[in-house]
Amino acid sequence: MKSKTTLIFNVFLVIVFVFAFTLPASAGKTYKLGMSLAITGPTSDAGNPYAKGAEDWFKFVNETDYLGDGDKIDCPIRDDQYKNDVTKRFFEEFLDDGILIFLSYATGGNLALKRDFEEVQIPVIPASYHEGLIVDANYTFMPVATYSENAVGLAEYVMENHKGGDTPQVAFFIHPSAFGRGPLEDTQKAIAEGLNIEIVEVVEHGTDLDNTAMLQRLVSKDVQYVICHTVQTPVATMLTDAQRLGVTAGSFGEKGKLTFLGAHYTGGSDLIALAGTATEGYLWADSYNLTSENNEGAKKQLELAARYGRDDKAANSHNYGAGILAAQIATEAIKMAKETGLKVTRENLYIMLQKMNFNSFVAAGPVTYSDTERIGVDVQNIYVAQDGVFKKIQSFESKYIQKVRAGR
Amino acid sequence: MSYFFQIVVSGIVVGSIYALAALGLVLVYKSSRVANFAHGQIIAAGAFITFFLTVRLGVPIFFSFLASMLITFFLAMSVERIFLRRLIGEPIISVIMVTIGLASIFDGLIYLTPFGSENFSFPDFLPTESIVVGGVSISWTQLVGVIITFVLIGAFSWFFKKSTVGISMRAVSDDQFGAMSVGISVPRVFALAWATAGLSAAAAGCIIGNVTGLNFETLHAFGIVVFPVVILGGLDSILGAVVAGIIMGLIQQFASGYLDGNFGLNGTGDVMPYIILLIILLFKPHGLFGVHEIERV
Repeated sequence: MKSKTTLIFNVFLVIVFVFAFTLPASAGKTYKLGMSLAITGPTSDAGNPYAKGAEDWFKFVNETDYLGDGDKIDCPIRDDQYKNDVTKRFFEEFLDDGILIFLSYATGGNLALKRDFEEVQIPVIPASYHEGLIVDANYTFMPVATYSENAVGLAEYVMENHKGGDTPQVAFFIHPSAFGRGPLEDTQKAIAEGLNIEIVEVVEHGTDLDNTAMLQRLVSKDVQYVICHTVQTPVATMLTDAQRLGVTAGSFGEKGKLTFLGAHYTGGSDLIALAGTATEGYLWADSYNLTSENNEGAKKQLELAARYGRDDKAANSHNYGAGILAAQIATEAIKMAKETGLKVTRENLYIMLQKMNFNSFVAAGPVTYSDTERIGVDVQNIYVAQDGVFKKIQSFESKYIQKVRAGR
Repeated sequence: MSYFFQIVVSGIVVGSIYALAALGLVLVYKSSRVANFAHGQIIAAGAFITFFLTVRLGVPIFFSFLASMLITFFLAMSVERIFLRRLIGEPIISVIMVTIGLASIFDGLIYLTPFGSENFSFPDFLPTESIVVGGVSISWTQLVGVIITFVLIGAFSWFFKKSTVGISMRAVSDDQFGAMSVGISVPRVFALAWATAGLSAAAAGCIIGNVTGLNFETLHAFGIVVFPVVILGGLDSILGAVVAGIIMGLIQQFASGYLDGNFGLNGTGDVMPYIILLIILLFKPHGLFGVHEIERV
């Protein structure tokens, strides 16, 4: 009898323990997301801080009960090393886990999975801003202005600020891939629509140790502006060579010299780290707010980085900001669904994303989507490298991109 | 005319750096007949060791440069001792597969450090203004790179031709069993070949890193980029690597300077060296300075 009482007491204790530990956990819901990107391997100089930004934002959301009701976000971040097949495998595993939104990375991987995203009907937030990702696609939500908007916008800036009555002579320095060629094609379309620049030459770079011949050739053809769309390392080598040869323009559009301009992944603090003083005067189009601006947004980015012990290099990287923004878009979609009283499902998050309109401390303008609009931040800032940092010259939105944008 | 001479100077600069980067491949092949696919990773390691010693530990860059060569000397020697020693006498393809595996392991190890995914640059230690002679400019970085390349290549050439150890290495390359029969320690020679290749790779890494900035992907790509140089030079010839390196550099610059952007051509600077390589190999299948081996049946 005594043993029976003890048994009942023990069972009661176990039940109490089970409830004691499970009740708080079940008080909030956990929403599953998935992220795949290059933390190591090619382009990991961008992917690594991007991953840190996203990770820190999700930690912040969970620690501060940002979603309310004790709800949390669980977003495993996987390193695909810039390999499309690995990205696809991770994506399929994430689908099996029932993720609500996929945070993706490279142009190649996104193009390869574009049809899958549409078939599965899962919202995707990429780190690639390749225009082709949103052509004939509904589920990809580009966080900021595309590379094409950067390139066409820079071409517009050249047209508007070029001195003299002649047509600005421009060369393109691009990555030998779809990533590099897309913005060039859109700029050519913009020229056909009346953008008054002449593309004298297109250079698809290799692994170059010296760009002397190319730079001299451009000068001999009276090229005044070089628009770059690639990654930072080849741009850094080119800028260093231009400085050595004395062909870098001292002021915008200086005759007989070259003024260098570039899109999102060509610039930032890493370019200055690689090319040093040769970066001075480099013009860079980007939709992120930089920490060198020292404004409220910059302070918040630095605070978040400090909260999670990030070093200065990561904290000041625009790619860290880009990772934060991708995570913020996913977070806001969940929050909007909750506030609207909808169940948090893929379908409802897709609807919420199309109604999204919020301000992020890392972005140059508001993040807005609609039924037809798939680009979050349309505003771009033009920065110029001055005294070892990028400083904002002006904000703008490309006019010609609206005329040439395919399928929209 | 200065346009022409500028291209010549740039071609020689690029070619010299190619030659230095190719040297390590030649050294390993010369003694062991193995193509080392982990060479690019050792080039990157040498550059990052120099950066770490200079920037993080405050060692003057000249001493960091020497120290990194010493460290990669022992690193490469250890790799040979641990992974490759037991493959002596095994089919060459097995050894090559091991070097591919080593490349993967080195990648993984470097990815564990910040050097695997961040960009860095050496602090300025040379004058930033260029030297201009007759309208032709060369930066101090390039000039010092070329000088170091030729000093090292000269030293290695002397080492192989005149020193006892160097002659032993050539003997092992010619005939392992014959060399053993006259008392040469083949394992020791292999270890030395890997070690000297490591040393030259570190030097190449520092020079390339100073030109392009320190990015792991860019640096280790040079282990593959210089393969055509090694093949054109004749695989086991140091002089061949130098001549082929400079030929490649000149072809690249001339193609870029005179063909690209004209006649509807683009990217010939990257393609033309390979076209020339194929043409030369049609007539000289063993490369410019390679040994034509005759096998008696």
